[in-house]
Amino acid sequence: MLSRVAESLFWMSRYFERAENTARFLDVNFNLLLDLNKITPIENPNYWVALILVTSDKDRFNKLYSEYSAQSVTDYLVFNKNNPNSIISSIGLARENARSIIESISSEMWEQVNNLYHYLQNITPQFVHNDPYSFYKEIKNASHLFQGITDNTFSHNEGWDFIQIAKYLERSDNIARLIDVKYHMLLSEAQSQPEIVEGSEDIIQWMAVLKSCSALEAFRKVYLSKIDPDNILQFLILDRTFPRSINFSVCAAEDALWRISGSSRHRYVNNADRLIGKIEAELSYTAMEDIYAKGLHTYLEDLEQRLVKVGEQVHLTYFAYHTPDIESSDIAEALPFTGVAGGRPNWSQAQQHQQQQ
Amino acid sequence: MSRFFERYEADTSHFFDEVIAQDGIPRSHYDKLLHRFGKFSIDDVKARREVVNIFFRNQGITFTVYGEEEGVERIFPFDLIPRVVPGNEWHTIEKGLVQRITALNEFLYDIYHTQKILKDKIIPPELILGSQHFRREFVGVTPPLGVYIHVTGSDIIRDREGNYLVLEDNLRTPSGVSYMLQNRQAMKRAFPVLFDKYKIRPIDNYPQELLRTLQEISPGSRREPNVVVLTPGIYNSAYFEHSFLARQMGVELTEGKDLVVNDNKVYTRTTRGLERVDVIYRRVDDAFLDPLVFRPDSKLGVAGLVNAYRKGNVTLANAIGTGVADDKVIYSFVPEIIKYYLGEDPILQNVPTWLASNPSDLKYILENLGTLVVKAANESGGYGMLIGTESTIEQQENFAELIVANPRNYIAQPTISLSRHPSFFNDTELYGCHIDLRPYVLYGKTVTIVPGGLTRVALKRGSLVVNSSQGGGSKDTWVVDE
Repeated sequence: MLSRVAESLFWMSRYFERAENTARFLDVNFNLLLDLNKITPIENPNYWVALILVTSDKDRFNKLYSEYSAQSVTDYLVFNKNNPNSIISSIGLARENARSIIESISSEMWEQVNNLYHYLQNITPQFVHNDPYSFYKEIKNASHLFQGITDNTFSHNEGWDFIQIAKYLERSDNIARLIDVKYHMLLSEAQSQPEIVEGSEDIIQWMAVLKSCSALEAFRKVYLSKIDPDNILQFLILDRTFPRSINFSVCAAEDALWRISGSSRHRYVNNADRLIGKIEAELSYTAMEDIYAKGLHTYLEDLEQRLVKVGEQVHLTYFAYHTPDIESSDIAEALPFTGVAGGRPNWSQAQQHQQQQ
Repeated sequence: MSRFFERYEADTSHFFDEVIAQDGIPRSHYDKLLHRFGKFSIDDVKARREVVNIFFRNQGITFTVYGEEEGVERIFPFDLIPRVVPGNEWHTIEKGLVQRITALNEFLYDIYHTQKILKDKIIPPELILGSQHFRREFVGVTPPLGVYIHVTGSDIIRDREGNYLVLEDNLRTPSGVSYMLQNRQAMKRAFPVLFDKYKIRPIDNYPQELLRTLQEISPGSRREPNVVVLTPGIYNSAYFEHSFLARQMGVELTEGKDLVVNDNKVYTRTTRGLERVDVIYRRVDDAFLDPLVFRPDSKLGVAGLVNAYRKGNVTLANAIGTGVADDKVIYSFVPEIIKYYLGEDPILQNVPTWLASNPSDLKYILENLGTLVVKAANESGGYGMLIGTESTIEQQENFAELIVANPRNYIAQPTISLSRHPSFFNDTELYGCHIDLRPYVLYGKTVTIVPGGLTRVALKRGSLVVNSSQGGGSKDTWVVDE
């Protein structure tokens, strides 16, 4: 498969997953604040700043808005075209990548990404404000539909594996960020108000974290109603069967990478395989004590860094193949959520406009 | 007759109307169509319009308009009334095109080898040697089978009397064939019953024929030559077509950066390493193909590609340097070219053409700017032209300056009232719109033309410009056997 095609499949998938996760974060925050509105107003900036921290571009946000409110954060994360990670930007970039390989993907996949793109063009902030639930559900469903269509209309060969790698790398990264930010937000609140650590507000917030991963029901089946931070972290980080846990996502990315290269356990053929194998092995033999010993924040940050490295190695191994000199900007593209617009550079756009007869 | 057609004013005293003859009676090959449309209400038409729109939108059939805000994608306007071409008329067009393309290919071979036609003074040498599309680096290079123009799309119009005339030979990278194919698909969905009533010659085999042609010109003896399509990229106006054709042929769509030349051989960069390429159906202009030979700033080309081509390790379709023969100045010599190489009279006539490089013609052009159509010799897509009858004095003066400054670059033709065809303006009313026809000619071991082509329609009321970049649309073209 052409390296360029593989790369576009990768980014198409990655941006679609990113849009879904952003929708999840926002959706849950609205729900959470409805539950909490007896204790805290829906405009409480603490709850909104967290979302900006998850997507880790606080500086860019501060340049554009003066306060953290439902309206400003929603605008930034859904509509703002200057935010490369906003839902509208992500879907635009997913579509741009899909468009550049339209002959390689199934027409159903193209229709789905194109439909969502056009749907978003017609959505107003007012619409989202009036009915956030329907809007976010639409995005999540569109993403699920896209994945289902991909599974059922696109050959499960190398290209499909690149789609899987992108999806699961993005997902594991997003979950790590979500846990990190929420945990610290809750922890700092708990320290200032020690008496309500085990209070109902805390539990509601932890339930919200689970909900944003669609994990509440699955969690309950394992831990019944013991909603405490230990169990939740164990579930979201280490569970091997739940599709929105870090461990599951890393395993799935590893499987896809190994299918492409023919690597197997104990034997890797390239650095991408080696690094993902290392993460997977460590997750498999990690217990919560190990994580606490290292410090949760340090642990998650380290994990995020290592996932970024995997992305870089995928780029170098498969996409930059036989390119004599790799521009540093190409590698920067492989970094998630850093604000780099990704996709493909437009430097040749003017020349592409040559007249066709 | 249909309610729509009852209200239709053909204006046959000023124009050749494709449907209604001079005497006001519909031409017989349109009978079944009129009968069928006669049963339609406005709602029926609207319902079919919806079917067609959904089809086009879902397929992502759009083109990009330059000069407006970046990335404006539009659905190519499509008219529901098909154009019907009787089999016998098509026979003439087909024979005429085969003759013309064969002669033009011989001409190119000659120009890039012994230049007999220049020595025999049929064409002034300075017109060829001074053409910006003449590539002297390729004199003496022989492409496989001696074929230069593998894919062409000649524009054919009809004059007041209904004669088919060739307006332009597009010998470099003609576009639009995907619209021809998609228009047919859309019509099959919207009007299945009509297809039952007419014996319409199929065109769906075009991608297979194209692939066969491209495989035939492969330089090597590999049994399964590796063919790729080379596109400038997703921002090109015809990108949809490039990807469509690659998909239909089942070959890779590549951009310049996907290709790499090593030891004068061309390869694609894949996730598994390098793969050899034999034939490139390139939709990139000569000037951008190879930064080492042509424009050094080209980001779309492949360094070393031209050397690989000269060594005969890869075939480019179309060959480099074909533009010298579709220059609008050379166009005026095509009748002589046909006579010179084939010893035959042209079956399809040219539109009369004045050359600004010829002093007496220049005088005539400058004196008649208000009635002539002036075109830049090397532009396409309806850019760089002056339609005298629709221009202001100021525009004419500007053009006069341009012409005098660079006479070699301009030609003029009389304003031909292109034939008209009833077309829907807003799904409620029919209006006579000017049309042309672009059939697609494939040239490998033999010359193949799928029956039909792209009929372009000037959907702006009264406009004569059918180019998609200038607000033109298209309609399906049916070659029918009685």
